[in-house]
Amino acid sequence: MRVLIVGYRGNPYCGGQGIYIYNLSKELAKLGAEIDVIVGPPYPDPLEEWATVYKIENLNIWSIKTKDIPLEKLKRIFSPWNFADYVLTRLHMFPEMETFSFRTFFALKKILKTKRYDIIHDIQSLGWATVPMKGYGIPIVTTVHHPLTKDREADLMSNRGLWDKTTTILFYPLVMQSFVIRRLDRVITSFREGIDELQKAFGVRRERVSVVYNGMDVDMFQNTGEKREENALLFVGNTEDSKKGLVYLFEAMTMLPENVTLTIVDDGPPKKMTAADMIKKYNLGHRVKFTGKLSYDALVSIYSRKTILVMSSLFEGFGLPAVEAMSCKTPVVVTTAGSLKEVVSPDCGILVPPKDPVALKEGIIKLLGDKKLRERMGENGRKWAVENFSWPVAAKNTLEVYKDVVREYRSGK
Amino acid sequence: MPRAKIWGFLAVILSAGLFALSLFSFFIINDGDFSSFSSVNLTELNSFTYYSASIPIAAVTLWVLATGFWIGWVILTIKVVPPMPEIVEKKDNSKIKAFFLCLITAALAALLVYGVYIRSFWSLAVPALVISAVILGAIFWVGMAIITTRATLPVNKK
Repeated sequence: MRVLIVGYRGNPYCGGQGIYIYNLSKELAKLGAEIDVIVGPPYPDPLEEWATVYKIENLNIWSIKTKDIPLEKLKRIFSPWNFADYVLTRLHMFPEMETFSFRTFFALKKILKTKRYDIIHDIQSLGWATVPMKGYGIPIVTTVHHPLTKDREADLMSNRGLWDKTTTILFYPLVMQSFVIRRLDRVITSFREGIDELQKAFGVRRERVSVVYNGMDVDMFQNTGEKREENALLFVGNTEDSKKGLVYLFEAMTMLPENVTLTIVDDGPPKKMTAADMIKKYNLGHRVKFTGKLSYDALVSIYSRKTILVMSSLFEGFGLPAVEAMSCKTPVVVTTAGSLKEVVSPDCGILVPPKDPVALKEGIIKLLGDKKLRERMGENGRKWAVENFSWPVAAKNTLEVYKDVVREYRSGK
Repeated sequence: MPRAKIWGFLAVILSAGLFALSLFSFFIINDGDFSSFSSVNLTELNSFTYYSASIPIAAVTLWVLATGFWIGWVILTIKVVPPMPEIVEKKDNSKIKAFFLCLITAALAALLVYGVYIRSFWSLAVPALVISAVILGAIFWVGMAIITTRATLPVNKK
């Protein structure tokens, strides 16, 4: 199987796409697939050991004021796609996916003079030029963890005033994604409810969607054997993301005993103020602390030391922190929002309805008060994570989808 | 002078020059008398000639107006209840503004289509002037940034 993976951002340390490209390409290569990758900046760690990488230019100038753009980038702004990028970003649009797809379309034309592929796998860029790419006679699948409509709704919930709302609406390229996604051969999503979400958001036909659970590095995320702290809750995620429902966790904290503490793995003030303001409002300053961004080793250590991981999300397209915690034998209390009810099995953690601080508090109290239950759930969680969410499993299932799509495509369905 | 700075100066001079030329052509050359523009007779043009110029201009303008209308429509119709509890409920009149945004963009779009249909000079000139201003403005702004950006940090005199 000759696979071309296409992703507009490739940084393997932040942003799901880079991690996805790095690990999926590596595991697919182990399964015998020939892998090429077309990727935009920030570029991934070297993949050359198992893949041929074609780097696509992009200035990444969204949200940077013109006077703050480095001279090296300014000098390159007048090339056609860079200029289109520049003008559209000044109009508050996020054109990276559009221009990446056009750049890829033309790059692929050159590559196809010497190479052939059985399938193209687009990693949620869904740019306009993905549609004419079908003209190259290769089936195209795309991975969409969750439709951007969810992000836009969450942003609009916190926007006030016409200008804020206008910039939010301009930012998300939903018209383009809706148009493109319906014309691709298959959509891979990471949870079953995602099928309905994609149908509702973009009108994607159910039979065109396949579910493949995301992967994670179960070898790296292993319990370190460090002593567990008592009554120590952990939250891992972007505190500025209103989909994380942090306010409900803080409300639950106000109902929990004073000796229960919360550690947040993210930047606190002055970099990020949303959570800090809420902490002040609920008078939780003495019980909540921020760690800032952590290295992988430190993250594994903190998962292994804290008593429970809590996710108070209003929506999740996968819920990586829950899987990482389970992989480190840490029990979880999560909401049933989005993918979490699939990702967390009831024997690995406690599931509560979203937007319900009382239920969240009760779930936490139940686990904090029962060490045996925590240990049992921790053991089950590790087993569950290894069986379902390791990269080899994700790659194997993705390869099955490829084969199915290629078979359908060649039979002319 | 570094080559990048030369490009920067060229961008600024060219964009400012072209924009000044447009302003001069519209507002100064006729001493502010717009009646001569209104009497421009485009009906004498061959239909192919006329539509080959008017359709691209109208298409870009309609796209911009449609985006404005769509933004207003989304704000008017999207349901994002319940609101986040941490948001202090304050008066938000964005729906009223969105309604006017829809109304104005729809009216302008209708006016443009009508203007193109009756071959009005203004229906082509105004959008062309605005589109040129946006593009020339972008070039000017980048040129200014190139000219004023230091390639290296200034020498620390201490």
